[in-house]
Amino acid sequence: MRIAVRVNGELHEGEVEPRTLLSDFIRHDVGLTGTKVGCEHGVCGACTVQLDGEPVRSCLMLAVQANGRSLRTIEGLAIDGEHPLQRAFHERHALQCGFCTAGFLMSLEPFVREHAEPSEAEIREALAGNLCRCTGYRGMVEAVGQAARELGDG
Amino acid sequence: MPPARASEVGSPAGGGLGLVGRPLRRREDERVLSGRSEFLDDLDPPGLVHLAFVRSPFAHARVLSLRPPESAPGLLAVLTARDLERRARPLPIQTPEGAEVADEPHPLLAPGEVRYAGQPVAAVVAESRALAEDAAELVEVEYEELDPVADPAASDLALLRWRQTSGDVDGAFASAAVVAGGRYAMPRLVAAPIETRGALASHDPARGVLTLWCSAQDTHRPLRHLAHVLDLPAERLRIVIPDVGGAFGSKGSLAPEAAVAAIAATDLGRPVKWAEDRFENFVASYQGRGMEAEVELALDADGRMLAVRARIRADLGAYLLPATAIPPHTAAMLMAGCYTIPAADVEVTGVRTNKVPTGPYRGAGRPEAAYFLERAVDDAARALAIDPVELRRRNLIASFPHRSPLGWTYDSGDYRRCLDLALELAGPRPPSEGGRLVGSGVAMYVERAGGSFEAARATLEPDGRVVIRSSTSPHGQGHDTTFAQIAADRLHVDPADVVLEFGDSALVPGGTGTFGGRSLAMGGSAVVRAVDELRERCAQAAARLLGATEGEITWSDGGLSAGDGRTLGLGDVAAAGPLEASARFESGLVFGSGAYAAVVEIERATGRLTVRQLVAVDDAGTIVNPLLAEGQVLGGVVQGLGECLAEEATYDDQAQPTSVSFADYSLLTAAEIPPVAAAFVESPSPLNPLGAKGIGEGGTIGTPAAVANALADALGGRHVDPPFTEAKLWRAIHG
Amino acid sequence: MKPAPFDYAAPRSLDEALGLLGEDAKALAGGQSLVPLLNFRLARPELLVDINGLSELAGLERNDGLLRIGALTRQSALERSELVAAGWPLLTQAVRFVGHPQIRSRGTVGGSVAHADPAAELPVALAALDARFTAQSPRGRRTVGAGEFFIGPLTTALEPDELLVEIEVPAPYDRAGSAFVEHARTHGDFAIAGAAAVVARGEHAAIALMGAGPAPLRAPAAERALVEGAEPEEAAALAASAVEEGHRRALIAELVRSAIEEAAP
Repeated sequence: MRIAVRVNGELHEGEVEPRTLLSDFIRHDVGLTGTKVGCEHGVCGACTVQLDGEPVRSCLMLAVQANGRSLRTIEGLAIDGEHPLQRAFHERHALQCGFCTAGFLMSLEPFVREHAEPSEAEIREALAGNLCRCTGYRGMVEAVGQAARELGDG
Repeated sequence: MPPARASEVGSPAGGGLGLVGRPLRRREDERVLSGRSEFLDDLDPPGLVHLAFVRSPFAHARVLSLRPPESAPGLLAVLTARDLERRARPLPIQTPEGAEVADEPHPLLAPGEVRYAGQPVAAVVAESRALAEDAAELVEVEYEELDPVADPAASDLALLRWRQTSGDVDGAFASAAVVAGGRYAMPRLVAAPIETRGALASHDPARGVLTLWCSAQDTHRPLRHLAHVLDLPAERLRIVIPDVGGAFGSKGSLAPEAAVAAIAATDLGRPVKWAEDRFENFVASYQGRGMEAEVELALDADGRMLAVRARIRADLGAYLLPATAIPPHTAAMLMAGCYTIPAADVEVTGVRTNKVPTGPYRGAGRPEAAYFLERAVDDAARALAIDPVELRRRNLIASFPHRSPLGWTYDSGDYRRCLDLALELAGPRPPSEGGRLVGSGVAMYVERAGGSFEAARATLEPDGRVVIRSSTSPHGQGHDTTFAQIAADRLHVDPADVVLEFGDSALVPGGTGTFGGRSLAMGGSAVVRAVDELRERCAQAAARLLGATEGEITWSDGGLSAGDGRTLGLGDVAAAGPLEASARFESGLVFGSGAYAAVVEIERATGRLTVRQLVAVDDAGTIVNPLLAEGQVLGGVVQGLGECLAEEATYDDQAQPTSVSFADYSLLTAAEIPPVAAAFVESPSPLNPLGAKGIGEGGTIGTPAAVANALADALGGRHVDPPFTEAKLWRAIHG
Repeated sequence: MKPAPFDYAAPRSLDEALGLLGEDAKALAGGQSLVPLLNFRLARPELLVDINGLSELAGLERNDGLLRIGALTRQSALERSELVAAGWPLLTQAVRFVGHPQIRSRGTVGGSVAHADPAAELPVALAALDARFTAQSPRGRRTVGAGEFFIGPLTTALEPDELLVEIEVPAPYDRAGSAFVEHARTHGDFAIAGAAAVVARGEHAAIALMGAGPAPLRAPAAERALVEGAEPEEAAALAASAVEEGHRRALIAELVRSAIEEAAP
């Protein structure tokens, strides 16, 4: 089946099977491998991208379902230079192996946009949709707080 | 010996830049954050084909017949054990010192018999992973089911035996005022890195070299294992490690599937990728822990420990993978813990069951030892009616080096300081009230790290940068930043001018591997030696260029100076010709330690457990980068908490795995993590120039033991093994 | 874990969709429950009927005091709806426990209901609210209550050629407060047990249990007791009494008690 998907503003056309997962389309057909695959059953969140601005698990969507839609992936997170989340993750040591990081960032981006002064509990709940096995999450909690405040001030 | 400040230790005489001990942020981050990381499944060379496996649905069966399909869409090849008969050997087995191991290595593909559900039986190569999975379903296998052994108590074969007796154990028990202890068990766990395993093999017939990209912890073990399996010399093999998404011990040994990929690539003349999926990782990746022990402590009336007796039984699974025997041996060797116990009798038996084999998983025997011993110490305290902290104080080792009755010599430590600091950070224990039972507990640990050797090569490039090739390989720990810190500190340069190269067997020197918290102590020390030698060469070159004697040359931020103030930058020295230095660093084991404390609360009505607080005090010797070291502790603590609250690799009575997805096996999210206070005590090791030990695993070692002791306190002494589920605790309370 | 091959159709009308559904043809809505099954090859339909284009099936509206939830309404839309928060707050409370925001942005109300996972929140909340479920097929349209709709784990009264199109929820009792509570091992994990309560003490009570049986279970004895003025603990014990296993019974009793206390303090 022929599909056309806008990814990070650029139109990509491809030939896919109905069963081709959106995660595989992004990674292997479009060639953007920043989005990772960790479980293929929607729990770990490593594959999270944004569909029309909303975070979704790309391993739980078929590529054909993205036909005519608009996606944003980690490669498109920073529009001019560096997103405050990226900077905060670096400054607060919120990543170790880095495999889960893209999924976290794409999930968190709307949260930090919408909450200027989130509480720790709210941040932890916002983080709870993604799994990290390396960091123990504390650096991420601090990073989210920092990025949210920065965006709130901006 | 009082702990030295990190910035004093590890810098060369004459002072360095003081980078060692600074919380420098990681230069590895930028690539990841912008989506430019490159993990195994991101590799997509031209002509790539994909590997999937037919796996046994039964835990124990004879394979009567195997018929691949005549054809299938995209199908390129099917491999069975018969095809590998004269081409490949099973994986080698590492035998721990003094142990007896059975000759039961893991075959690549199952020959006439399968011994665990999920065991690879046949390999299928096709144009895509989906097509390979389709074709795998068409392979017809006829099985004759055999009785599986699920319960280690019913096992028919010991795969590992080890025993050590030292001192008059019987005498100590006979004369003891109190004998206390119990039976403690840690279930099997799944390492579950977010990136599963994987390998991509490519054969170059012109050069006769087989290259294997491998999501692995280091190049050395895959290289050694592959050479053994294929009976090829190391020069014909090249192992390259891309970015690795966590491992925690599970990517140390070469996976049998990776060896099959290598064979398939050679046969087909096309690159072959095996990207393990999550289901495969749950059923076929080697699991951790899975040990139980009967521990007895003999104590005198004053609470002095006279002897320890332990019988450890490890549920090793169906075969001995290369490192399967290591964790149980390590656990046994540490059964005297942090205490001056003069006599010990410890036996470990690893038994065969029809499950996937076990292997090292973060802590790899040390969490088990800490759990078994520290629970026994608390039970002994209860039996003696002595405060558990006080009982520990009366028995802590206070002078180093200390030789344990089990054979290892602990290099340095300050166990009292760790314990005091943990208690200080924990504060007073809150009271139980109303419907909630509160408990507090502590646990000490000592662990082994380092040992064997690592190597490094340091080169001063013509542009003045320093390139260091290290035998260790990072997979999230930040070695790129820490090693650059160490090198830059000694060379008086900006860390940005130090380039680290890891993870390509064609480029880096041979070493032992990345596991057991060894990289800083061993890899870092090899870097120190190589850099120090490079310094000497630079000084010699500078002396020649400045017409001075070597003794007149001093190092400063500007570069190298002669006594009269003339200075040459490293770039100037390099311009005169590249300089190189190699070093190999070898050492005995180093011993880290720590004291952990926990406060827990149980809701009476439901058995629900909340960890209110966790304190982690670790002594890993010199801390080179406190930001990254703390990250290691926090990550380890959360894995340890996962073990306490939710994780268990479960099997039914037919030895069928029932944890086969993240829906069954829950990893903790950020919302489950209690406040954690982490601190370091630094007792530098005398065994390496950095004074470093290892910090990668302390969090998983101390946490379960401390939480378990706090829980037993809340339950008035009743013992429960992890995971501490609501149902178990409710039954412990309500009988 | 790649799905077995299947054909795909994206019908543009409900009739077209209904003509396609059957034994070997499954509806794809949010995909949050179905796609994992496809990936594990536990579900192997020959045809996947993508109904996401049937926009007439999505929407929330009030009609004569009844809330009409189009089956294709996204869980996130239910979560954000002020209409629902004002008139049917139990649904707003329950939907917040469904997975995570990334799941709710795709998952649909109808999908969760039709999948009927025993640990799903929305079926339990809807059962507490006496919701009625409308299914359509080429043979016609029918509406049934929760008791008839939810049969067992992953089993509903829907025939293979039927599509759940709408859920109607009567207005809850005016003076009743509501609450939804659950226990899960980790945040967003499948719940071990849960309870939904709509209570005005001494006047009205509706209690539904998750994890007490094969399907969402109402607790009529507990409901009667609350109307007759019983204390929450007493009513909770009644609600849990049908559960045999000791710990689960205690857990459910505790959850019901806390739901009642929260709904009607």
